[in-house]
Amino acid sequence: MYRGREGQWAYFLHRITGVALVLYLLLHVFDISLVMYGPDGPFNAFLMFYHQWPFRIGLVMVIAAVVYHALNGLRIILLDFTTWGIRYQRVMWYTVLGVTTVIGVPVLVKILPEIFGGA
Amino acid sequence: MAVRPKNLQEARDRSRNNAELAWWVFMRVSGLFLVFLVFAHVFVNNILINVATVDYNYVATRLAKPGVKVFDTFLLGLAMLHGVNGLRVVIGDNIRRPGLRFWVQVVLIVVSVGIFVAGVMTLWAFSYREMGDAIRDLTSGH
Ligand code: HEM
Ligand code: HEM
Repeated sequence: MYRGREGQWAYFLHRITGVALVLYLLLHVFDISLVMYGPDGPFNAFLMFYHQWPFRIGLVMVIAAVVYHALNGLRIILLDFTTWGIRYQRVMWYTVLGVTTVIGVPVLVKILPEIFGGA
Repeated sequence: MAVRPKNLQEARDRSRNNAELAWWVFMRVSGLFLVFLVFAHVFVNNILINVATVDYNYVATRLAKPGVKVFDTFLLGLAMLHGVNGLRVVIGDNIRRPGLRFWVQVVLIVVSVGIFVAGVMTLWAFSYREMGDAIRDLTSGH
């Protein structure tokens, strides 16, 4: 277990983003597999349902979860396989949060108008 | 809360068997590959296009490309193994009753294998020719 408050938060967030991502993945692969029923099958109807705005906000959250989980995953790998990792774990966690924000803001700027721009 | 091993040596000492140690290593190795795979995938399908334009036509056109098939196969395989193993561990940590824990894990594995098979079929068992014809029918206004 990591010591210190940040470590607990990092761990907890890694866990819930990981679980959210697998649940999304299972639904996502099931959904995409509906293309097997062809153009007149259930695929388009299913997708139109998920094109409604609450689900598109959900997708934005999936992207945020991916970015945080991936960057924090790299941090965990550095902690586990380097001798200096533990010493910088706190700094690296703030770096993870910083980079997540730096990637997240342009993503929001690109996607939010698509959702609320009427289209 | 589960106490995680902090490095390879500790994981080795702590793991009850070789399988748990192998999974520990696998989570890290697959994670490295997934950074590339998932970021590229999300970039292509969310940033290069507007997700609202995704429909049958879009997916069928993408999946008809051999490169996308190969890429998606790695993404599917690694993300499934990494994610489902991760969820198995989380269930193990949080469901304390052994009987219940066992059955929840069985249900997880059965559902995941089913969805994985559907995913592989979507990528490889689906005739491109039929898909091509379907797209042509669709775009010529049938
Ligand atoms: C994008 C790159 C990714 C990296 C670098 C990464 C890294 C990691 C690492 C190192 C762990 C091990 C944590 C531990 O042993 O305590 C982990 C756990 C986990 N990952 Fe990932 N991962 C990535 C993507 C994903 C994806 C796409 C999913 C979902 C399909 C996912 C789901 C999980 C789950 C459920 C756990 C278990 C969480 C826990 O035990 O607390 N990860 N990840
Ligand atoms: C967040 C927004 C996402 C969107 C809009 C999206 C969209 C798509 C689309 C359109 C496809 C069809 C084939 C292709 O274009 O490659 C696809 C397939 C796939 N996606 Fe995603 N994706 C997203 C996130 C993710 C994430 C986070 C993962 C991994 C954890 C993932 C894993 C997969 C896999 C494995 C397939 C192949 C499915 C199959 O086997 O049939 N996707 N996705």
